[in-house]
Amino acid sequence: MAPTENPSRERILGRIRAAVQTTGPHHEGAAGQIFAPVTNTLDRFQKECVANITECMVTADSASSAAAIKAILATLPPGEIFVQDAPELRALVSGVKDGRPLRWSSEGPPNEASQATITLCEALVAQTGSVLVSAANGGRQATVIAPAHIVFATLDQLVPDLEAVMARINERGIAGRNSYVCLITGSSRTADIEKILIMGAHGPRRLIVVLQTA
Amino acid sequence: MSTASQEFLRKAAEKSADPVHRGIVRWNIDQYDTSVGKGKTRFADWEAARQRCHDIKWEAVNHLDKYLLQFEQKVKENGGHVFWAENGEEARQYICDVAKRGGVKKVVKSKSMVSEEIHLAAALEKMGVEVVETDLGEFIVQLRNEPPYHIVTPAMHLNRQQVSKLFHEKLGAAETQDPPELVAIARRWLRKSFFSAEMGISGANFIVADAGMVTITTNEGNGRLSTSVPRIHVALTGIEKVIPRLQDLATLWPTLATAGTGQPITCYNTLMGGARRAGEVDGPEEFHVVLVDNGRSELLADLEQREVLHCIRCGACINACPVFRNIGGHAYGVTYPGPIGSVLEPRLLGLKEYQHLSFASSLCGACTDVCPVHIELHHHLLQNRRNAIHSGTHPASERLGMKFFRWMMSSAPRFRFFGWLGRMALRAVRALGLEGTALDPMRPWTKDRAMPPIPRESFREMWRQQNGTH
Repeated sequence: MAPTENPSRERILGRIRAAVQTTGPHHEGAAGQIFAPVTNTLDRFQKECVANITECMVTADSASSAAAIKAILATLPPGEIFVQDAPELRALVSGVKDGRPLRWSSEGPPNEASQATITLCEALVAQTGSVLVSAANGGRQATVIAPAHIVFATLDQLVPDLEAVMARINERGIAGRNSYVCLITGSSRTADIEKILIMGAHGPRRLIVVLQTA
Repeated sequence: MSTASQEFLRKAAEKSADPVHRGIVRWNIDQYDTSVGKGKTRFADWEAARQRCHDIKWEAVNHLDKYLLQFEQKVKENGGHVFWAENGEEARQYICDVAKRGGVKKVVKSKSMVSEEIHLAAALEKMGVEVVETDLGEFIVQLRNEPPYHIVTPAMHLNRQQVSKLFHEKLGAAETQDPPELVAIARRWLRKSFFSAEMGISGANFIVADAGMVTITTNEGNGRLSTSVPRIHVALTGIEKVIPRLQDLATLWPTLATAGTGQPITCYNTLMGGARRAGEVDGPEEFHVVLVDNGRSELLADLEQREVLHCIRCGACINACPVFRNIGGHAYGVTYPGPIGSVLEPRLLGLKEYQHLSFASSLCGACTDVCPVHIELHHHLLQNRRNAIHSGTHPASERLGMKFFRWMMSSAPRFRFFGWLGRMALRAVRALGLEGTALDPMRPWTKDRAMPPIPRESFREMWRQQNGTH
């Protein structure tokens, strides 16, 4: 695409530069701790999941993770499942074959009619019960398109709070490596009609985290 | 009096006397207040959060050139395009050009107040492009051909019956009083749009300098679909939305959510830094950021009101405002309602036509108290009033009236005389049975209020009678 002429750029920048020669007034006030530190991260994560309507299933090993995923899939209507193409998920999903068609992210983005998507994540946040995903987790649509989104995570991915998750994004170059990063907290919702909370607006109605401790 | 001002007075009078409208707004604001009250308890120190947010935005706004350039460079490194628009016209033109080049027939939009500010949808529609709003509230007001009622809750003024009727008439859906079914109708309808649109337009809650990413905050997921499925993504934003660092979001995201809806954090906080990269499964082929000035750099040059650029558009001041609670969002007749709009709009649209908004406030300061970034909103309303007076654009009758008032108030005998005259006149009106008629000088006041009994003597006279002294 040809670069667009943009003479306004210099004019706008010129005005900004002239203006910020003088610094504006600053409000001086409380500088205390904003959030209480998160101590018991697993406990807090589970509590926050209950509050924000995420289903969190804590599993001990890969066998019980596979069993958990199988149990979740059994609750879903028939239809295709989309899975992030990652060795961990190849191993897990091979154990839960229930006759459904499977589509892997290496085959392209999910079909709109997928019943569920299964992905890994970049991190979990205890403070808010959130899941951090990126384009690397099966793409952009993988984590928003289906009625159910199942996330497989391990305990070492759980960080205490939002400060820690932003630090992790920086340390691990997550934002640098991906064109897309999303912090997901609970399933899609709206309160645009009479402030009544309704789940499953445009994104998943169910967000399920399978959190493996070993 | 300007036409905008007359229209404002007419709509404000109509809306504040409409009991159904009052009921809906009261219900919504009550829900909001409860939720925010609860939300704030999740902070160890809400005041510290406000201070941090103020510090972040202060740092960004006072070094705006530095952070915008850093952002621009990062986006370009990642193959994205950044366009700087002096005004709405330039921004519209750029986006229409991108649409034309890309052969765009349909656009899906996630919520962007800047797009309302610059009337983007109308420009795209004029060139034959279909524009679909995808935020549920925005979708509803778009079907009604209305602007958003509120910057966070665009369809706050409607109840489920009205939405049901609308969906029945415009989408052919069966009538239902069940809110989940209403949401499902919109979901099904909009899904088709996400997959047939060639372009997605989003706003930006923040643009992050060190990461070169824009971030949007939505609960529904429409912002995610709008920026994931279509071939082109355009992020449209004001230049003041830049923040220095990704790390700043650790405070800004939860504070914005709590001030906006009372949630601990919004459902989806998405960061986007470009088109689909090599190796990624999906995503747009083109990524454009349009940085809109449209009067913002002039505000930056005004040290007194520079901090208005700190605004993160949470809507807290709107919900807190007793004027908004009475007249609602549409009466303002501008893009941004409530206190922030009454500060901003006269600056962006001209004091001459829009100064009335800065006068339509009791200066109670509720807006300033709730602002999560410490904008002294009621002081800025007062400054706009002063500037309007100095610019000589307020009505001559008012200037004359204030001159007379000053003359009367600056002498005790004159004050006593006019007080006596006023009491006599009011009693005469009552005695002659003129009360409430067109000849009653108090009618503008008494038509909505009960007139108290008129005393025979002034306070001074009563004092003298009881105490025998001055």
